[in-house]
Amino acid sequence: MKMQTGDIESDVLESLKCVIDPEIGINIVDLGLVYKVSLKDNTLHIELTLTTPGCPMSGTLKTAVEQLLLKRYPNMAVEVELVWLPMWTPERITAEGVRQLGKL
Amino acid sequence: MSTAATSTSPGKWVVLPHFAFAALAFLSLSVLLLFSTDAFGGHYFHPKLLAITHVAVLGWATMLIFGALYQLLPVVLEGRLYSERLAHFTFALLSTGTILLAYAFWNFDVSWVMHVAACLLFLSFLLFNINVFQTARRAPKWTVEADFIVTSALWLLVTGLVGLLMALNFSYPFLPEEHVHYLKLHAHIGMAGWFLLLIIGVGAKLIPMFLLAHPVGTGKLTWSYACINAGLVLFILDHMVLRTGLLAPYAALVTVGAVFFLLYLRDARKTMQRKEMDLGMKQTFVALALLLLPLVLVFAVSIDLGLPQGVLSSVYLVYGISVFLGFITALILGQTFKTLPFIVWMHVYEAHVGKCKTPLPKDMYSHTLLRWQNISYLVGFVLLVAGVLLRHQQVILGGAIAFTVTAVLYAANVFQMLVHKAHDLKPFTYENANR
Repeated sequence: MKMQTGDIESDVLESLKCVIDPEIGINIVDLGLVYKVSLKDNTLHIELTLTTPGCPMSGTLKTAVEQLLLKRYPNMAVEVELVWLPMWTPERITAEGVRQLGKL
Repeated sequence: MSTAATSTSPGKWVVLPHFAFAALAFLSLSVLLLFSTDAFGGHYFHPKLLAITHVAVLGWATMLIFGALYQLLPVVLEGRLYSERLAHFTFALLSTGTILLAYAFWNFDVSWVMHVAACLLFLSFLLFNINVFQTARRAPKWTVEADFIVTSALWLLVTGLVGLLMALNFSYPFLPEEHVHYLKLHAHIGMAGWFLLLIIGVGAKLIPMFLLAHPVGTGKLTWSYACINAGLVLFILDHMVLRTGLLAPYAALVTVGAVFFLLYLRDARKTMQRKEMDLGMKQTFVALALLLLPLVLVFAVSIDLGLPQGVLSSVYLVYGISVFLGFITALILGQTFKTLPFIVWMHVYEAHVGKCKTPLPKDMYSHTLLRWQNISYLVGFVLLVAGVLLRHQQVILGGAIAFTVTAVLYAANVFQMLVHKAHDLKPFTYENANR
């Protein structure tokens, strides 16, 4: 069965909750680092940011997202784009992320 | 599929040897403290104290800062380190120079050993400056943090130059004033120009990042930069040319600069999203609290309070201890565990992310050792300061023992991380993802 764009967006976000920011210890979705998920011509396009520009984790997190999505969607191509605008601020952390930060 | 962005991090052999050398230097200086309790009873211009101080500032603090900076410069300046080869040469010169200088001071051998050591160190600072300047020059965006880092590197070079001239002056006297006159210059340029500016430049970026805070505006940092540099330049001018003896206004300028930085961090703390701080950050805030001690004591050593000579000597010693074994050491003991696990993790697990279940950086060292390290450090610092003020050798020895325990615990954790290897990695599945 072919997935709809809306379905796949929520499915991708759910999958990306498996990618943990190693420094902070919570997942990149609840940290608010995933800006956009889109599907076009069988290619998944992810816009990802980091908590600070120049972060040494840029390559690592990008690879983690790519590898994970390729495993989850073996028949699709995956593009991960690092974006810096709008700049990430702590206000982007979800309620669940804030709850997890409180527990850490 | 897009390829992953090439990491801006330098290779592990650029960074990690600095942490290993620094841990061994901290252990060495703690052991030297055990055999130097008799040296704290008089003037600070004492061979053993000079040896310990230079192991602390060069082998311990500067070495670790160099290593950490090679990793952090790309973060702060958002670019790539100019040259890894220069970094290797800098490390070789700094480590050799430190060992030779420590030997020369401990034995008060002011001959060629000290001259060679001073030359190696100056050359090391020169290469470091080239690397920092070239990296900064290519930075896509210039920030106030870059101002702090680049200026601090310049002050390090000036500190090294004064040190080199003093080393040569031991054998071939050519300086018009006595050594202590230049020692004050050498020490204060090093403390305020190199360490304080560098720590503020890097701390202003990293501490809010670790707290998940976004302070609004950098006005306080700009004032901090202006005040510290103005205080330092005026101090040098007065010390070398004007000779008014009015040191307190310059000390006040530097103090105001440091206070602006602390106010900036207070703003950051107000917006932090992390409710609980880990042990590394707690120790960092202990260090920031300890910064207040030298900021107060600087006035005690720059104003004539009419203290008896013996008391004044002790106050001078406590002033130096509060900077090198207080603020700077406490900061390193905390920030090592915010940076090193992360650096090692990247080198060990970068190739496995998304494919295998990997541990987190915080799982790579013992939190129990770290907790005891922080406790024994505070005990050691309090005992050392109390022993020096009371001129009580047994109390100083107690402090030295506690420092040695701290250094052993620190080194155990650091080397545990440095030899960390990936093993028994399980393939990534959605079932084990969050476990």
